[in-house]
Amino acid sequence: MSFSRQTGERLERTFTRRSAALMLAQAAVFGGLGMRLYQMQVLEAAETGALAEGNRTRRMLLAPRRGRILDAAGNVLADNAENFRAVLLPRTKLDAGLLRAELKRLAPVLHLSEDEQERLILVAGRYGHERTLVLATGLTFEQVAALEVRSLEFPFVTAQVTSTRAYAVSPRPASMAMAHIIGTVGAAANLGLDDDPVLRLTEMRVGKTGVEAGMEHELRGRAGEAVMEVDARGRTLRQLKQTAPRAGRDVLLSIDSALQSRFVERLAAERGQGAIVALDIATGEVKAMASLPAYDPASLSGPGSEAAWRLLTADNERPLVNRAIAGVYPPGSTFKLVTALAALRAGTIEPKEKIECWGDVTYAGHVFRCWNRKGHKASDLHKALRESCDCYFYEAARRTGIDRIAAMAHELGLGETYKAGIARQQAGLIPTTGWKRLQGRTGWLIGETLLAGIGQGYVLATPLQLAVMTARVASGRAVVPTLIKRSGLEPAAEFAPLGVPDAALGAVRSGMVAVVNEPGGTGQQADLDDPHLTVAGKSGTSQVSRLSAERELKRALAFGARDHAVFVAYAPAAAPRYAVAVLLEHAGGGGAKAAPVARDCLKILFESDRLGARPSAAAPANGDVPAAAAAQPRGPG
Amino acid sequence: MFQNARQASPYARLMRVNWLVPALVCLLAGVGALALSSVAGGSFTPWASRHVMRCAGGLAAMLACALVPLRVWRALAVPAYAGALALLIAVPIIGTEALGAKRWLTAGGFSIQPSEIMKVALVLMLAWSTARVSPAVRTHPLWVVPVLMLIGLPVLLTLRQPDLGTAVLFAGIGLSMMFLAGTPLWIFAAGGAGALAALPFAAARLQDYQRKRIETFLDPGADPLGAGYHITQARIALGNGGAAGQGYLHGTQSQLDFVPEKMTDFIFVVIGEEWGFAGACAVLAVYALLTGVLFVMALTARDTFARLLIAGIAATLAIYVSINIGMVTGLVPVVGVPLPLISYGGTSLVTLMVGLGIALSAGVERASTAD
Repeated sequence: MSFSRQTGERLERTFTRRSAALMLAQAAVFGGLGMRLYQMQVLEAAETGALAEGNRTRRMLLAPRRGRILDAAGNVLADNAENFRAVLLPRTKLDAGLLRAELKRLAPVLHLSEDEQERLILVAGRYGHERTLVLATGLTFEQVAALEVRSLEFPFVTAQVTSTRAYAVSPRPASMAMAHIIGTVGAAANLGLDDDPVLRLTEMRVGKTGVEAGMEHELRGRAGEAVMEVDARGRTLRQLKQTAPRAGRDVLLSIDSALQSRFVERLAAERGQGAIVALDIATGEVKAMASLPAYDPASLSGPGSEAAWRLLTADNERPLVNRAIAGVYPPGSTFKLVTALAALRAGTIEPKEKIECWGDVTYAGHVFRCWNRKGHKASDLHKALRESCDCYFYEAARRTGIDRIAAMAHELGLGETYKAGIARQQAGLIPTTGWKRLQGRTGWLIGETLLAGIGQGYVLATPLQLAVMTARVASGRAVVPTLIKRSGLEPAAEFAPLGVPDAALGAVRSGMVAVVNEPGGTGQQADLDDPHLTVAGKSGTSQVSRLSAERELKRALAFGARDHAVFVAYAPAAAPRYAVAVLLEHAGGGGAKAAPVARDCLKILFESDRLGARPSAAAPANGDVPAAAAAQPRGPG
Repeated sequence: MFQNARQASPYARLMRVNWLVPALVCLLAGVGALALSSVAGGSFTPWASRHVMRCAGGLAAMLACALVPLRVWRALAVPAYAGALALLIAVPIIGTEALGAKRWLTAGGFSIQPSEIMKVALVLMLAWSTARVSPAVRTHPLWVVPVLMLIGLPVLLTLRQPDLGTAVLFAGIGLSMMFLAGTPLWIFAAGGAGALAALPFAAARLQDYQRKRIETFLDPGADPLGAGYHITQARIALGNGGAAGQGYLHGTQSQLDFVPEKMTDFIFVVIGEEWGFAGACAVLAVYALLTGVLFVMALTARDTFARLLIAGIAATLAIYVSINIGMVTGLVPVVGVPLPLISYGGTSLVTLMVGLGIALSAGVERASTAD
């Protein structure tokens, strides 16, 4: 018994010890829990606090209103039309069954057909919570009001106002005349991670072509944001804050649509494809930019627009392409201005130096023809430009070398695209020996220099580039074109002078005056027949393909192989104000076909100045412009 | 001395009750009522009111149990255990299935959960059986065999329901009481090694949802919107509480329903978000105090049965709290154990109150020895 009692006492002590141990263990566990809470609630509080905020808030980007596009006269060409739509709130957690029930309840309000409901359930399943599900668009005010009034019944749905792009559609000829310039908008595609998140909004439209794309940064504006408090089921409880979107800025074009229409009409009178560009030399403003064939922008919105798109994109005449900026053509003899200036600057020819022409010339075993089979006999620079003697410029190009010619071409704006506020410009091509090496074929051949010297071979340019070249030759300054109206306060001498000696420019300009005004000149049809408005110009006939003499007869009748007619001009010669480039596809000789068009274009420009239709940039303060150009009133006709 | 206690009037017994225990229970019940009001968005109804009513009923039951002489409880130990075991065996045969598990017995519109009865019965049975044998037998290694059978039967039966949380609770209670009863320490060491070796086999027998819970526990971030949702949201809400809390009724995660099961198993998260680290620690401290009081009561109790009984109830409470808070803080897998006296829910509240009442009854006998 005493043994048992001893054991009992020992056990009692064991119990005491072990109770204490168990209490300690429990204290340790509770202490551990306390430390865990400290870690979660104090040390990691900042991190999880942000998660909590993300949990309870939903951020909704609000699309900004897109800026409008106005012409120089202030007519609104591209505007926004308001459109009410019903959307499912973003990241609403509804499974297909619940969504189906929700849509069924909404169907009477939103007029959703059974098919439409099924389609929405499909779309919701595919895109999950990432996108705002648009349930219906084009809601009436009654429908919007019904949604608002019954918002407690439809906690997952909200009415939003969005805007769609609307283009001035009347008068139709005017809207077609501006179509290429304004361009098109579309949903943003192939977004990168760094792109503006507002582009992910389904209603967002970005410029795809034309000024819509070229001025995208101005037109887009900045997204606003609404922060909403939601519960775990995604129901919106209240709006915590809202930052209003900042609307995009309006863009004012340098082009007057009425003037533009007259250019398009004139171009249309030639019954072919082609482009015209007219520049204000002092400001670089594009006064008109015509391209045919064109399209009706109204056909690209609303019902049937998809079919219209398909038709236009499949059209062989490529009416969607703005030929003035994206059509690349051999510049033909208009390029001789570049060759001449390059040779004069390099000192490889003297203006008075005479080079003989007998109808063709042989270099390195190849025969190079002049357009005039009889030859021009002995020509100095003046006569060579006036009569566009090919032999003279073969020799000038040979002496100067392609790389120096290419440098001059770039200086005159060829081979370049400009910050002109319009997208999809093509750079054309100004070949160099380096470029040829990169093509991985044979090295540069001397014959290629000769062809390039008369604007054939590899040389390619757009009508806009040819107009810029003309403006630069006329002014001696690096004129940069723009489709956006410059504010009237900018000084006239804004553009930097070219690195071309004045004497060289003077010699070339006098040659260009002779083209239009002297007997034998290739562009006499460009003459305005006005002593105050002397026109200077240069014709070009760009060969579509190099053809052997034997096949020349056959090609004469084949339209697709006929030469492009090119003419560049500026006026008045003494104080250049406007530069014009005309390109008529497959029309034939530049002097015969394009020069009259250039003349009419200049006439339209100066007429509109006289009629005071162009009050602003038309009168630079420096007085260089002859009185006739701006001030002197004249009777009609 | 013994006579004296046996003959003590109910009033005398009531005077000898350790009033700290009901006081702390009331405090925790009050915390529960506040938290449940918050869950209801600041409304006393429907949950907090019912909780208060249940707690009041539970408190009455607790005091009633405290008034019952300890010898009655001693006598009830075997029948209670046998009855609870019988009911547990009956559950898979005639039980009601809910949420993929058979845990309930329904009879005449009244349903009971036998595993709840077993929680008290197991403590009673282990205390009774240990107290009944001589100290020499108690410490003999072979004594472990019948004790393990007493523990193992309810553990296996609840595992089959399946109810992992309760099974773990039974095992915890049983091991704590074996430890206190003086089982040689080397047996625990050997058992621990054996359990470790058996772990892969046990894992293979887990139910799918149990396996998923454990996988989720090990990596809650792997599927934050699915299985890991509970743990992730609990972590966010607790972190959002910070040191001082978002303020009563101002816990965004709790109020906007991001916290799952916030009335029941995850109510500690609501407290943690609205009252912060400070409030959470205070609640933890009250639990520590309550178990501390019970352990001290156990140390000064009159005999082995009373001591083990009180310590067993204390261990039950401590294990409950540890598993629940460990669960919501992501330290242990989500097994569905409520936070005692605070979580909304009747059955476990009543069980715990009865258990505490029995512990108080055992404590009263000690108090009577002082006379």
